[in-house]
Amino acid sequence: MKRIRITIAMFTLLIVALGLLIWRCWYLQYSKAEHYSAVSIKQQEGFIGLKPQRGVILDCRGRVLAASNEVQTIFAEPRLLDDPKETSTALAPILDMGAHIICELINDSKNPGFAKIVIGADVNQCIAADRVYGVGVQSDWQRHYPMGGLTAHVVGFTSIDNLGLEGIELQYQKELTGSAGKNVFLADAFRRPVRLKQISGVSDGVGIILTIDATIQQFAHAELSKQVESYQAESGVAVVAEPKTGAILAMVSMPDFDPTNLNSADANDLRNRTISDQFEPGSLIKPIIVAIALDDKTVNRTEKIFCENGSYSGKGFGRIGEYRRGFADLTVREILVNSSNIGMAKIGQRMGKGKLYKGLTFFGFGKETGIDLPGEAPGLLWPPEKWTGYSVTRIPFGQEITVTAMQLVRGFCILANGGHPVRPHLVRAMVDNNGEIIPRPYFETAKQSNIGYVVSPEVAKWVVTDPMVGVVNEGTGTRAKLKKWKVFGKTGTANIAKPNERGYSERDYVASFVAGAPADDPAVIVLVSIRRPNVSLGKGYTGGAVASPVAAAILEKTLTYLEKHPL
Amino acid sequence: MKLRFYFVFAVFCFTAILLFAAHLRTANDRVFYQICKQKTYHNRLRQQLAGRQLRLESMINPAAVSERLGR
Repeated sequence: MKRIRITIAMFTLLIVALGLLIWRCWYLQYSKAEHYSAVSIKQQEGFIGLKPQRGVILDCRGRVLAASNEVQTIFAEPRLLDDPKETSTALAPILDMGAHIICELINDSKNPGFAKIVIGADVNQCIAADRVYGVGVQSDWQRHYPMGGLTAHVVGFTSIDNLGLEGIELQYQKELTGSAGKNVFLADAFRRPVRLKQISGVSDGVGIILTIDATIQQFAHAELSKQVESYQAESGVAVVAEPKTGAILAMVSMPDFDPTNLNSADANDLRNRTISDQFEPGSLIKPIIVAIALDDKTVNRTEKIFCENGSYSGKGFGRIGEYRRGFADLTVREILVNSSNIGMAKIGQRMGKGKLYKGLTFFGFGKETGIDLPGEAPGLLWPPEKWTGYSVTRIPFGQEITVTAMQLVRGFCILANGGHPVRPHLVRAMVDNNGEIIPRPYFETAKQSNIGYVVSPEVAKWVVTDPMVGVVNEGTGTRAKLKKWKVFGKTGTANIAKPNERGYSERDYVASFVAGAPADDPAVIVLVSIRRPNVSLGKGYTGGAVASPVAAAILEKTLTYLEKHPL
Repeated sequence: MKLRFYFVFAVFCFTAILLFAAHLRTANDRVFYQICKQKTYHNRLRQQLAGRQLRLESMINPAAVSERLGR
């Protein structure tokens, strides 16, 4: 009897236990199915975030100006570390660094989740460091600029997060960045990927090929920096352009900076003065005004204009003098060769404000050139309603108008290109992720036969091959003469306006020179402009003395180089 | 005796086939892992090569050459 009771009790217990087990199975398998399924997936899945590689920037010959390379960064997470000293001691032999240095880096970090210790660690260091608690390894793209400060103002630079902040890096930020991707995979117990679950591909940034030639850039940089230093000038710019296409072969702005060492750079040095600094061009603008006047038939090549023997005054426009000696009767050619202000003032008066303004706007003054760089200034050309009697006499010799160096380059490229418009540009082509080259539309169309002109081809050709050649051979720009090529050019010496009062300073000048060669079929245009050369050195301050030797040197080296290495 | 031997042999073969089938089922995952490993290694080599190329570019560019010639 007793045995039967024990047996029944045992069986009852067994049935209850079984019932509990069945209930538990049902609870886990059915009721909590979703929860445990999610936990299981989370445990099995892993993902790799793929950061896109920023696009490369090359010069026109394929030399690297900017590129990104992957580096491994070893970091610590300070909030997880109870004793940074212990971690530092563990890391010291792995990283071959002093433990106190590592401890300092951890303690000084403002971010409790990330304290950078080493950038660019090798594989063995990464593997060993990763085993230390609270220390991790992160893969990052680091931007490199192999040419340093040589093309700093053109290429620009990026932030620590690889965002473009200046130059081409900023202008083409979207194209250079690409898009991030993510690979989701299934992992085993050791977190090794065993199966791919989902792929969203990473798209690297496109590569950009510039029109800049690093060799010509070096010519311009070396010559300009030498002269700026020699004359203790405040700043200087040099631009080399191809007049037929508007391609910029070199663009230098002084003072410059090293994009790999921005901490030591002055904020003022970061701006690209070729497009941002506006100045009164002075006599540099005279050939353009003459071209407009000839094209409009306001003047002709043979007539003589009386230049008042050096002093010209009248109601509504004050008194105009010459820089050196006075002149009597001059032809248009002679006005340019001798750079007569009175001759130009009279041409301006004959044209009137309407025609003068229209001609200057057709040459692109008063608005941006549209070059593919950020921060371009439009210059200043007041509308005719704001002009006075002074304006129509002063603008023809480069006062009461402000321009940028790039606008002047564009203007002279138009003259050298037979009067046909060109658009200055820096990007020749882009290279996509498949290695296909995507040419830029305006670069290709510029090479085709030109449609329309700003001034007639005959006028443009005459201005370039006659008076501008005369400036170099017999006028104010004789220091730019070259033995092997017929050079055309124009000097410009502009007083800088006094900052806090009316009138111009007699000690502050902008010395400029624009040159091109060969005159019969211009291949290259060079503009050099040097601001505030030190007058008290007694070495001169005019465009002919300061800027023309630089332009000549750049021109000679560039033409010699292009003879052997045509574009 | 003979029957017992055949029985053991059959069980042994069956077990071996099961083990082999299990091994084949995970072959895909093992190969995938190896591919991932090789891809990472290949990528690392590519980056090392790119790093060397950049170092070379910084030595042979016109500015660097000009500076060395100037010295």
